[in-house]
Amino acid sequence: MTMAKANQAAPVPRASLTARAPDFVRSYGIFIFLIAAIVVTFAISPAFLSGANVSNMLMQLAPLGIVVIGQTFVVLVRGLDLSVASVMATAAVIATSFGGQNSDAALIFLACIGMGAATGLANGLLVTKRNVSPFLATLAMMIVLQGLRFAATQGAPSGNIPSLFRQLGSATLSGMPYNLLVMIVVAILFGILLHRSAFGRRVYITGGNPVTARLVGIAADRVTILCYVICGSLAALAGLILSGFVGVVDNFVGRGFELDSIVAAVMGGVALSGGRGSIAGALAGATILVVLSNAVVMVGMPVQLQIIVKGLVIIIAASLYVRPARA
Amino acid sequence: MLSLKGIHKSFPGVNALTDMNLDVRSGEIHALVGENGAGKSTLTRIIAGVHQPDSGELSFDGRAVRWSSPGEAKKAGIHVIYQEFVLFPHLSVAENIYIGHERRNRLGFVDHRRTRRDAAELLARFGLDMDPAALVQDLSVADQQMVEIAKALVHDVKLLILDEPTAVISGPEVDVLFRRLRSLRDAGVAIVYISHRLEEIFALCDRVTVLKDGKYVATREIGAVNRDDLISLMVGRSLSDLFPPRRKRSDEGEVVLDVRGINVPGRVHDASITLRAGEITGLAGMVGAGRSELAFAIFGALKTSAGQVLLRGRDISNVTPARAIREGIGLVTEDRKGQGLAMQLDIAANVTASTISEVSRFGLIDRRREEEIARGEIANFRIACRGPATSVSLMSGGNQQKVIVARWARTSTEVLILDEPTRGVDVGAKAEIYRIIQELADRGIAVLMISSELPEIVGMSDRVVVMREGHIVGELSSAEISEEAVIGLATHQSAA
Amino acid sequence: MTVQSSSLRRFFRGSQVGLFVVIGLLILLFVIGVSVSDRFATSRNILNVYEQSTGLALVSLGQTLAILTGGIDLSVGSIISLSSMLTSGLINGNPSMVLPVIAGVLLIGIVIGAINGGIITVTGVHPLIVTLGTGAILQGITLLYGLGPTGKVPRGFDYFAYGRLPAGFSVGATFALVVFLLAAFLLRNTRTGRHIYAVGDDPHAATLMGLPTRRVIMLVYILSGFFASLTAIYLVSRFGVGQPYTGANYTLSSITPVVVGGTMLAGGRGGVLGTLLGVYLVSLLNNLLNFLDVSTHFQLVAQGLVIIAAVSLYVEKRRIA
Repeated sequence: MTMAKANQAAPVPRASLTARAPDFVRSYGIFIFLIAAIVVTFAISPAFLSGANVSNMLMQLAPLGIVVIGQTFVVLVRGLDLSVASVMATAAVIATSFGGQNSDAALIFLACIGMGAATGLANGLLVTKRNVSPFLATLAMMIVLQGLRFAATQGAPSGNIPSLFRQLGSATLSGMPYNLLVMIVVAILFGILLHRSAFGRRVYITGGNPVTARLVGIAADRVTILCYVICGSLAALAGLILSGFVGVVDNFVGRGFELDSIVAAVMGGVALSGGRGSIAGALAGATILVVLSNAVVMVGMPVQLQIIVKGLVIIIAASLYVRPARA
Repeated sequence: MLSLKGIHKSFPGVNALTDMNLDVRSGEIHALVGENGAGKSTLTRIIAGVHQPDSGELSFDGRAVRWSSPGEAKKAGIHVIYQEFVLFPHLSVAENIYIGHERRNRLGFVDHRRTRRDAAELLARFGLDMDPAALVQDLSVADQQMVEIAKALVHDVKLLILDEPTAVISGPEVDVLFRRLRSLRDAGVAIVYISHRLEEIFALCDRVTVLKDGKYVATREIGAVNRDDLISLMVGRSLSDLFPPRRKRSDEGEVVLDVRGINVPGRVHDASITLRAGEITGLAGMVGAGRSELAFAIFGALKTSAGQVLLRGRDISNVTPARAIREGIGLVTEDRKGQGLAMQLDIAANVTASTISEVSRFGLIDRRREEEIARGEIANFRIACRGPATSVSLMSGGNQQKVIVARWARTSTEVLILDEPTRGVDVGAKAEIYRIIQELADRGIAVLMISSELPEIVGMSDRVVVMREGHIVGELSSAEISEEAVIGLATHQSAA
Repeated sequence: MTVQSSSLRRFFRGSQVGLFVVIGLLILLFVIGVSVSDRFATSRNILNVYEQSTGLALVSLGQTLAILTGGIDLSVGSIISLSSMLTSGLINGNPSMVLPVIAGVLLIGIVIGAINGGIITVTGVHPLIVTLGTGAILQGITLLYGLGPTGKVPRGFDYFAYGRLPAGFSVGATFALVVFLLAAFLLRNTRTGRHIYAVGDDPHAATLMGLPTRRVIMLVYILSGFFASLTAIYLVSRFGVGQPYTGANYTLSSITPVVVGGTMLAGGRGGVLGTLLGVYLVSLLNNLLNFLDVSTHFQLVAQGLVIIAAVSLYVEKRRIA
C-alpha cells in the first residue's frame, strides 16, 4: 500500500506513460494510423479526397470489408479461413450459371449463401470434429472448391450476371456505392451479433479460453462451427457483390482476399491467438489496406509499391500487438 | 555454494518475492518449505535464470552472478527438476536424457547407439526397467518423473533443485530417489529439495528454509526442529483468525449428491462419496491422487467408465457440464487462468458466463441487467475493482478467485465443488473466501472443497474424505479431523 | 507389457507412420495406373514423373524444416519469383555471369531467410504473419524489377532441369534426391538436427533446457530461403527465363507434400523423407490423372482430397476438458 502511494505522489509521469503506451496503441493505434495516412496522402495529392476517388475507394472497400467481418469471427475462435477467396470465386461462377435474368436473383442469392455456408460447415467440422488445423482444413477446402469450379466451367466461365447484382456492385446512390450500403448493413447486423448478443459472448469466451468455455456450459464446438459458417456465407455474399463490380467473371474473382482479409483483421487488432478484437477494428484494418493501395497511386509512386507497403504494414502492425512475454 | 541476499521480484500486480534470503552449502540437502504461493517456484526460477530478480544479490560457487538465460545457469552447473515436466514427448527417453549434451562419435555426429547404451546404463543404476528407445509420451507419469531425475545426473551438476519430485511417484521409486540423492550429496553436490511432505524432509534433508507469502522466515538445522515447529513457521499466524467460527450443527443435512463407485480410467477407481446439504466436505490427498479428476467426473467434464452419480436420487452420470450447471452443480477449478476465467473479458461477463441465456433477451445480452448482477456480486463478495466493466486480467489473484466463486455461487443451488479455492491468494483474500464458502454452506448448499493445504482442510471441513492413488482411502468425521489423521491416510504406503 | 508390443506401438505412433501412409497411397496409385494404361508402368513414364518432381521437392525441403520447428514459411513463393527474375535478368545470356549470379541468388535466399528468422525471433510475431508480410514485400520488389519475363540464359543452362544421367535419370531430380537423403541424415545425426525436433516439440522446454532456440529458428528459415532460391534456379533452367509470378503457386503447394508426408503443422514430428515421398505422390497423382484423361481441373480436387485424407489419418486425440 505504501509503495503504491509513493508511486502516485512521485512526479514521474513518464513511467506510467510508457507503461500505458502499448495498451493505447493496441486500442486506438489503428484509427490514428488510418487518419494519419489519409491526412498525409491528402497533403501530397489533394485529388485523393476528391468525390470520385473516395467513391472509388469505398466501392473497393465493400467486398473486402464483408469478408473481413466473417474472417473476424473465425480468427476470434482461434482459427483462420483460407478458403474465402475460393468461395468468392465460386459464388461469382454460380451467379453466371443462370440465365442472367433478374428474376433469378433470389435463387442465385440463396444458392451462393448456401454454398458458402456449406463450405464453412465443412471447414468447421474438420476443425472441431477431426481436430485438423484450421490452416490445413481451409486450405484443402480452398483447393477442392477451386477444382470443382474449374471442372464445372471447363476453365472458362462464361455467362451473364443479372443486372441487379451488377448495379449493386458498381452503381452509386449520389456518390454512395450501393455495395458499401450492403457492407454497412452487414457490419451493423454482425456487429450486434458479435458485440451485443449471447452468441457473440460465447464466441469471445470460446476463443479466449476453450476449456473455460466448456466448463461454463458453452457448446464450444458448435460455436466454432457457426463462426466458420458465418465466414463462408459472408464470403459468398462478398463474391456476389465483387462479381457485380468486376462485371466479367473469371475463375479467380477474389484472388488475394484470403490473405488480405487476415491481414486486415490482424492489423485491426484481432488476435490470431483468439478471443480479442472487434469488427470496428477489423474494418479499420480493411480501410487502411484500401487507403494505402490507393494512396500509393495517388502520390505518384509505382503501383508495385502497393504490395510492398502492405507487407511492411502488416509486420509492423502485428509486432505492435504482440503481448510482452509473460511470467 | 549458493547464496541469495535480499532478492526482490515482482510481476505485474503481485510482489512474488520480497527480501528473500537463502544459503545452500555444497554437500547438503536443503529443504525449502512453505505453503502454496509462498514463492518457492519463483525462487527456483530465479536461481535457474528463468526470471531475473528486480534487486538483490545472487552468488553461485563464490561469484556474484546474474543469469540472462536458463542456458547460462545450466552451464554453470545448476540443474532444476521442475514440477511440470521439461520433456519432449515425441523424442525417445535416451534422447530426452541427453538433449543439449548429445553423445557424439569422432566425426561429430550424434551417436544413437551410444546414447541408448549410456541411457540404459544410467536407468539401470537407478533400478529402472525402462526401454531407452521408448517415446516419452508413452511413459506413465511416474516414469516420466524418473526420466526427469535421470536427466540431472548426466551433467556435471553442482546444484540440483527438485520441485516436488515425489508428487507423482510412490514407495519403491521414492526410496531409489532418496538413495541417489544421498550419494549425490556425499559426492559434494548441493541439493535444494522442495516438498509438501514433511516426513520426507525429516527423512532426507540436513537443513530447512521456510518461506511464507514471498518472504524469508527462517533457516534451521533439521535436528533442531520438529514437525509442529515447522508448521507454525510455515503458517505463522493464528489459524482461528483465518477461519470462520464453526457452527454447532444440530442435525445432519439430507444427502444431496450421492456418488457411487465411479471410475475414470487411469485416474479414479471405484470412488464413492456423499455430500449433504449445508455441509462442507473436505477432499484431501496428495497432488495427483485423483481429486480433481473426481470433481471433473461429477461435473461431466470427464467421462466415467463405471458407477453412478445421483443428485437427490436422480441419475446424472456422464452429463455434459451444461446440464450439470442446469442441475445446480458448480465447479471452481484449481487452474484459475487456464480453466476458470475468460481473461480478455470484464467482471460482468465472467460472472454471468455460465448463465448467458439468463441475462439475454431475444438473443441479445441485457448489459444493464448484467452489470446490475455484477455490481451486486462485487458488493456481496467485496471484490476490489473499479466496477463491473473492469477487465479481470488487471485484478489480483484473490479478486479473480472471488469473481469465479461469485459466478458459481449464482448457479450452484445444490452442489458447489471448489478445487484449491485459495491457491496463490493472499492471506486477507483467503479469509474472505473462507467466509464466503461458509455462507454458501449455511444457505444449504452441499460444498465439496478440495485442498492440499492441511490447515485449510482442518479449519473448514465438517467432514474429510481422503484420496490416494485414485482411491478413496478414508473418511474422518468432525471429531476425528486432525492434520496427523489426514496426512496418515493420504501418505500411507500401499501394502503392495 | 512386452517389449514387442511397446515397440510395435512406438512404430505406429512415431514419425515412421507417415512414411507408411504415403507408401500405401503410392502403391495404390501405381496399381490404379497400371490397370488404366499399359503405358503407365513404362520406365519412360516413371522417369518422367521423377523429373517433374524436382521443383516441388526442393522448395518443400526448406518448408519441412520450418514446419518441424512449429513455424511455416509463406514467403517461399515470392522468394522463388524474385530469384528467378534475378537469375535470368542478371545473367542475361552472358555465360561468364552464370556462376557468380547463381552464387549471388543463393546468397539472396539466405539473406531473406535470415531476415524472416530475425523478425520472428526478435518480435515474437507468428511466422505465418511475418512470412506473409515479407512475401508481399518481395513480390512487390519482384514486380519493380520487371513486370514480365525478364532476361535470358545461355544455352546449356537447361542442363539442371532437362539433363539426364546414365540410365535416363533426371539431373535435377537426382540432385534433389541426394539433398533429401543428406538432409535426412543430418536431421537424425547432428545436434542441430535433434534440436530442430526439440524446438518444434516444446519451445518452452527447449529454452529451459538451454537449447539455442533462436539460432535453430534462424537456421530453418535461412535454409528455407536458400532452397527457395535453388528452386528458382531450377525453374529458370526449365523455362529458360525468370517470370514475376513463377513461384506464386509454390507457397501453398509446398505445404501439401510436407503434411501428406506426416510432418505435423504443430511441429516436432515428421521428417524430410516423408516429404520426399509426398512430393512423389503429388507428382504421380498428377501423372495418373493425365492418364485417366480427367480434365486437368480435377487434379486440384484430387489434391485437396488427398490433403484432407492424409491429415485426418494423422489426427491426434483431443485433450481432456
